[in-house]
Amino acid sequence: MNTELKARVLAAVAGEPSPTRRAVNRRNTLLNMLAGVSGMVAFVIFALVVSDSQLLRLGGQVSPRQYVERSVWLVATTAGGALGVAATALWLALWRGRSMLGRSRGSLLCGTALIPIGLFVWKVVCSLAFGYPMMEWPERPGLRCLALSLLIAIGPLLVFLAVRRRAPVRPALNGASMGVAAGACAWVAVDLWCPVASLPHLLLGHVLPLCILAAMGAVLGDAFLSIRSRRR
Amino acid sequence: MLVKNAGIRAANAAMERYSNGDDAAFAELYDAIAPCLLRFLCRATRDAAAAEDLLQQTLLQMHRARGSFIPGAPVIPWAFAIAKRLTIDSARRRRIELRLFTHDLTDDAITHESTAAMANADEVLHARRLERQVQERLDTLPETQRTAFRLVQQEGVSLKTAAELLGTSVTAVKLRTHRAYVALRGVFREEVKPS
Repeated sequence: MNTELKARVLAAVAGEPSPTRRAVNRRNTLLNMLAGVSGMVAFVIFALVVSDSQLLRLGGQVSPRQYVERSVWLVATTAGGALGVAATALWLALWRGRSMLGRSRGSLLCGTALIPIGLFVWKVVCSLAFGYPMMEWPERPGLRCLALSLLIAIGPLLVFLAVRRRAPVRPALNGASMGVAAGACAWVAVDLWCPVASLPHLLLGHVLPLCILAAMGAVLGDAFLSIRSRRR
Repeated sequence: MLVKNAGIRAANAAMERYSNGDDAAFAELYDAIAPCLLRFLCRATRDAAAAEDLLQQTLLQMHRARGSFIPGAPVIPWAFAIAKRLTIDSARRRRIELRLFTHDLTDDAITHESTAAMANADEVLHARRLERQVQERLDTLPETQRTAFRLVQQEGVSLKTAAELLGTSVTAVKLRTHRAYVALRGVFREEVKPS
């Protein structure tokens, strides 16, 4: 083996300090706390500004003559189920098991595609099961939910990318699954806040942000997680 | 098998110690993985200087990521994945049409020996033509089959490791390697066919 090459590599490594596992674990713990706090702060600020400090909204005025209210049990069931799906999404996106290469392409693709569908189906099924009318709310197309979802999820998405740092294989797909995981966490908070269950509203305000976050995650993942060679 | 089990164990143990802060373990890690990585990179780039540069970059990437190394994770697939990614990116960056992950049989020691042993000029010409045909056939194979063939047959990586590296199942790796084999066998069959 080329000893000159070995000496060159060892010198390059010695000249570039890198954090040990303990330091990285400490940093990641702080970053994960930051992700949680940033999501919660975004949610509270949005609720303060947009809905008079109401973090949990059970009902609303559909029209001047019609008021609809959902039961606490419905909120608990939908949010609880969504929490389970969000936990699964986080596990899929962040947990790599005992491999530095992470999950297979199939797992990541399935997770990225099925998590939004799962959340959507759960919301619809719960609403139907509790007899909650999925009526049209003309004044609630879903733009506020869209904005809220993106606002809550963007911080955690950036933190997830910072924690992973590098993905030698499938960086875009890893980023997309992180985007969906961040969006699924945001879905839980938005579910507490939003009483609307009409299909167009759900698709625009709740499902679309997950798709946007997946696309953002894919772009950011490709840009920041992939390994690039230096110029010779 | 070029990446022997003892070497794999030594690499895993060295990386484990290195990620926990034992700086001296990097030299051991280098000794365990650098030879097979360099062979892989030489075949991929067909340029010794570029391969050495990419080896240095691969090991630097591993050094930078040592803190996020998962305890108990195998090092070899990770190292190969980084090396492969860097090779592809380097080729793109330099905008040179490198034919990645194809086997240059002229570099193969066995072929050198057998070629040297041929006294007859016709046989030498025949061997060269065959080499070129094999090379051309390898180039026409899908990248997945070429990479599987290279890893399993030329680098001696185990099927399990290759499967993990390629993000697929062991059965799929076997199938890809077999298909590459069948395609290459076709070259020889055509050669011996009576004209």
